[in-house]
Amino acid sequence: MQPFALNYARPAVKREATTPYVYDSGLQLNVMPDGRIAASDHALLRELGTTTSTAGSKTHFDD
Amino acid sequence: MTVLILTGQEDVTADMVVMHLNAASVPVVRLDPADLTAGAALSGEYVHGSFHGHLSTGGRLVSIHGLRSIWVRRPGVPAARAAQPSAWLTEEASQALYGMLRGCTARWMNHPDAARRARHKPWQLRLAQRSGLPVPATLITTFPQAAREFAERFPDLVVKPVSGAHPQEPPRAVPTSRVAPDTDFSAVAYGPTLLQRRIAKRADIRLTAVGGTLMAARKETPADADPDEVDVRFATSDVPWRPAEVPPRVAAAVHTYLREAELAYGAFDFAEDADGTWWFLECNQSGQFGFIEVETGQPLARTIAEWLARPAPRDHEQTDGRRTVTP
Repeated sequence: MQPFALNYARPAVKREATTPYVYDSGLQLNVMPDGRIAASDHALLRELGTTTSTAGSKTHFDD
Repeated sequence: MTVLILTGQEDVTADMVVMHLNAASVPVVRLDPADLTAGAALSGEYVHGSFHGHLSTGGRLVSIHGLRSIWVRRPGVPAARAAQPSAWLTEEASQALYGMLRGCTARWMNHPDAARRARHKPWQLRLAQRSGLPVPATLITTFPQAAREFAERFPDLVVKPVSGAHPQEPPRAVPTSRVAPDTDFSAVAYGPTLLQRRIAKRADIRLTAVGGTLMAARKETPADADPDEVDVRFATSDVPWRPAEVPPRVAAAVHTYLREAELAYGAFDFAEDADGTWWFLECNQSGQFGFIEVETGQPLARTIAEWLARPAPRDHEQTDGRRTVTP
């Protein structure tokens, strides 16, 4: 009784990495522990994949 | 005049745009509807034929009348973090927030009505056809026999979710997957199934549209790529995204699509075949763009910020209540 498309489902990959930045409500930006703006560090964004189009997002499917 | 960004705190992609708005000294209020009644507040008064509304979050207070634009980026479920969340409270909070915002003159990226309609992938396929974009032969059906006959006509098929959503109990991902020629299609009867002719692609294309500005990126398919690896989001290739020129005919069709869809932003996915034809796969009305900017250097965040920073239309320009999409 499983829909056809689900024959091709795979377990969602859980993101293992924790983000090394926290939201600063004063700046309205995420900042690193040393005060740098996380979004200005493209190498970090690439490494974390937090800006990447992904499948299986729990809350959004507009990737 | 302020830019309102509806998104979660963890949305570091939105940060890329906030940085540009800050640099241009454009006031920004970033609000997550999930925080309503616990960190975010609203009030609106309809008296003597006029409306005065305010939003508050993070110690900021903004007049709804003073909004120049609203970016619906990654908003949480309204009131999801309230002290006593419930489906009823979510509906109340949603109606209050979006109902008030719908009445203001700010420009939307994207308007909720346009966004909701634009998420329907069957609707996207038809609009793409009408706009002049090549669309791979597609069948959406619950008839197993229709699926079998389609597979006879188009033996090389892929299957993907109709909605683009993924099941959560348990959490699973349903990538676009190749369908073997001898597949048993009887399970098609248990759920609408989207089958599409596979495009033997030489590259994936992500075209990001911001107002009238189009920027495309291309990710070449390696010569030794596994033909069963169809979905670029799951591909193991480390080939980078590179900037690409948008063919004039594609550009014209994309502009038509955006105008008809009433979208100010759209992230289009295409598969480029051996002839160089860009086959329309889908348009995500809130698609990610950060990874493209990071890899290509294309100024997507700056372009979004510039669009959001433009002045709001004056009251008399929206007297009939219709949405306007500014290129």
